[in-house]
Amino acid sequence: MKRREFLKKAVIAGTAISIPSGLDELIRSAFAAEAADLAVVTGPSPEKITRAAIDALGGMSRFVSRGDIVVVKPNMAWDRPPELAANSNPEVVATVVRMCLEAGARKVTVFDRPVNDARRCYVQSGIADAVRPLGVDVPYMDERKFRDMSINGEVLKSWPIYTEAVEADKVINVPIAKHHGLAKLTMSMKNWMGVMGGSRNKIHQKLDDSLLDLARFIGPDLTVLDAVRILLDNGPQGGDIADVKKTDTVIAGMDQVAIDAYGATLFGMSGKDLGYVRKGHESGFGSMDLSRMVIRKLTLLS
Amino acid sequence: MRFEIRGDNVRTARILSQAAFLLLFSFLFLQTESTGQDELGYPVKVFLDFDPLILLTSLLASHKLTAAFLLSGVTVLVTVVLGRVFCGWVCPLGTLNNMMGVLRRRNYRSRGLAWRRAKYLLLIFLVGAALFSVQLAGLVDPLSFLIRSLSVGVYPALNHALVSTFNAIYDANPPGLVQVSEWIYAQVKDPLLAFRQPYYRQGIVMTSLFLLVLGLNLAERRFWCRNLCPLGALLGLLSRYALLKRSVSEGCTECGKCATVCPGAADPDSPENWAITECYNCWNCDDICPQNAVRFGFTGKKSGTAVDLGRRRVLAAGAAGAMTVPVLRAEPALGHENRNPMLIRPPGSLPEREFLERCVRCGECMKVCITNGIQPTLLEAGLEGLWSPLLVPTLGYCEYRCTLCGQVCPTGAIRRLSVEEKAKTRIGTAMVDRNRCLPWAHSRPCIVCEEVCPTPEKAIWLETVEVENQKGARVSVQRPRVNLELCIGCGICEAKCPVEDRPAIYVTSIGESRRKENTLLW
Repeated sequence: MKRREFLKKAVIAGTAISIPSGLDELIRSAFAAEAADLAVVTGPSPEKITRAAIDALGGMSRFVSRGDIVVVKPNMAWDRPPELAANSNPEVVATVVRMCLEAGARKVTVFDRPVNDARRCYVQSGIADAVRPLGVDVPYMDERKFRDMSINGEVLKSWPIYTEAVEADKVINVPIAKHHGLAKLTMSMKNWMGVMGGSRNKIHQKLDDSLLDLARFIGPDLTVLDAVRILLDNGPQGGDIADVKKTDTVIAGMDQVAIDAYGATLFGMSGKDLGYVRKGHESGFGSMDLSRMVIRKLTLLS
Repeated sequence: MRFEIRGDNVRTARILSQAAFLLLFSFLFLQTESTGQDELGYPVKVFLDFDPLILLTSLLASHKLTAAFLLSGVTVLVTVVLGRVFCGWVCPLGTLNNMMGVLRRRNYRSRGLAWRRAKYLLLIFLVGAALFSVQLAGLVDPLSFLIRSLSVGVYPALNHALVSTFNAIYDANPPGLVQVSEWIYAQVKDPLLAFRQPYYRQGIVMTSLFLLVLGLNLAERRFWCRNLCPLGALLGLLSRYALLKRSVSEGCTECGKCATVCPGAADPDSPENWAITECYNCWNCDDICPQNAVRFGFTGKKSGTAVDLGRRRVLAAGAAGAMTVPVLRAEPALGHENRNPMLIRPPGSLPEREFLERCVRCGECMKVCITNGIQPTLLEAGLEGLWSPLLVPTLGYCEYRCTLCGQVCPTGAIRRLSVEEKAKTRIGTAMVDRNRCLPWAHSRPCIVCEEVCPTPEKAIWLETVEVENQKGARVSVQRPRVNLELCIGCGICEAKCPVEDRPAIYVTSIGESRRKENTLLW
């Protein structure tokens, strides 16, 4: 068996293997042919694990075509520095953006509608500073660009949504995995609250159904869940370093239900513990049955 | 050959100086806004640091000196040597009055001595009040007045006018025009417009007063500067024995032309009555004199006089100032008597008495407040506290890691806090209104207040209870409870509560760190 084939097989079998640095190219070519449901990569460098995870799904060119207008939507809703795991990891976000550009995206935009003051969130999260040097726009959201859209969901019939998030050629979700008082955990599906306008604090009354309606409506082309640091308690904004756990992981895929189901395992839970995941699975929007999907797991040593 | 400074050169230099200081002032005003960094980056309050009226009255009222105040020593020194150059060359409100003067080109004539005297009496009134610890100078200090008027009234209105125009074009979407308008919008947005439309209570009052001051130029050019400005009066007194003197030679034919261009109404056409205390050192009189008889210099005989105030008037003004103290303090605004729960002071505010001794109502904290939550009081702090800052959480909460208000406060009424100190500073306490709260009153899930609560260990905790809902079904709800030990009263819970009209959780001043008499826990 050739080394390349071995790698492929080992990974497809779900075995965690360790790959020395410098083999990124090799991994990319190894995975290019196969379709996988999820890629789970662990390692000390947020940039490298992000790259490896997307490469493991077939590379960014599978999701972003030359000339595309791309929206990358991180969670940068809170006035907290990266160490406190309240916002998506800036290196993960920057790597996704860089890969979009490498894939030939015409324009990449990064934004969020934060809960705290937008200026502080953009700066203190470290995301604006990480992404702007790539020549990418990180605009504050423009109130005028929220338009009432017909969502036709179970509970969300219509809501003001940020037009750019809907009109972009490709949308990439880059959430972080965190504790949440009502949803229990917030990961990819809940991240779309960041493109909602209006009084979104009202949807908590029917949160699980609303999140499913929303995630289905936006339908991102790719989701990259940042679990470099996860927030175990006092979420979603945290503030105590003792509540942060370093898990050095990135999970990439297209099925938000599957990603959130996998993310739950990092907290010792499973998908069925989360209402919106369960509902997502039951409605056929996605699958939380991790045992029946192809999960590529990798561990990078550096 | 002797080098001679000619009047018209001086005039050009003066206009350049006025323009430069007005631009600097405007620049610093616009920079009084968060960039998202912890520090503001520019010394936006520096004009107030150079204001000796603020120095004097703060010193008298609070007996405290902050280092920044020493800069006003520079203004004092310049005035003692050169006279009121601040009024003629520097003061941004003076410059605006100067510019407004074009509306009334020919009316440089004074309304007479009685009016000019008013500003001195106002000054003495303010000093009298300050001597007995009531700080009212900020209400009429020209720099405080200008910053407050712009922050709370004029700038929000201008911003609204511009943004709504751009938005109207954007919505109408006329081809061609919308591209132009959006391009202009993009250019002016960052440098000139507010990050978010500011809203202030009493904005209309501040705008009206500002327009009134500018409008008074129609009655008499530089009406404010000549007759009302207490800082001008203080500088006038300091300039009484200024070293730079104006002399008029024998060549003067008393044609009276100089009096038509004198902004200070200093009676330059009358060698006996010329009032050095009213002179702004603009040198217009030198410029216009057909005989070239006017000269400014450090040598030569001094001429002129000072404004005669009259001993009885001085005493009356001082006594009136002193009298404000018992009159104001006889209302229940201070200390134990003040039970106004809505008086939530910005974080780092001194205890109420000391706070009012220092606050000059400049409105810098209101301008810089990142959420627009700091608003001018009306009567919440008594009449003595008029236009001092309070937080109105429904308009904007106190951002947990923001310390900008303390950074811009010119007098230390709001202390400058580190982010760590700020996190431990209580400005009030939140309490749940169980009759309005969704989980408490209506068995519906919510938790928004808990979600947004910023303390590392959340000051709002959720009590999970199984209850019956309106359909008789058993449902599990999480009811928010406030942990009094942890709540700092930032008000984000109130600001984000989905019961928007009258939030089901709200902050009052109880428990604030700055006032022992207002504690709750012990």
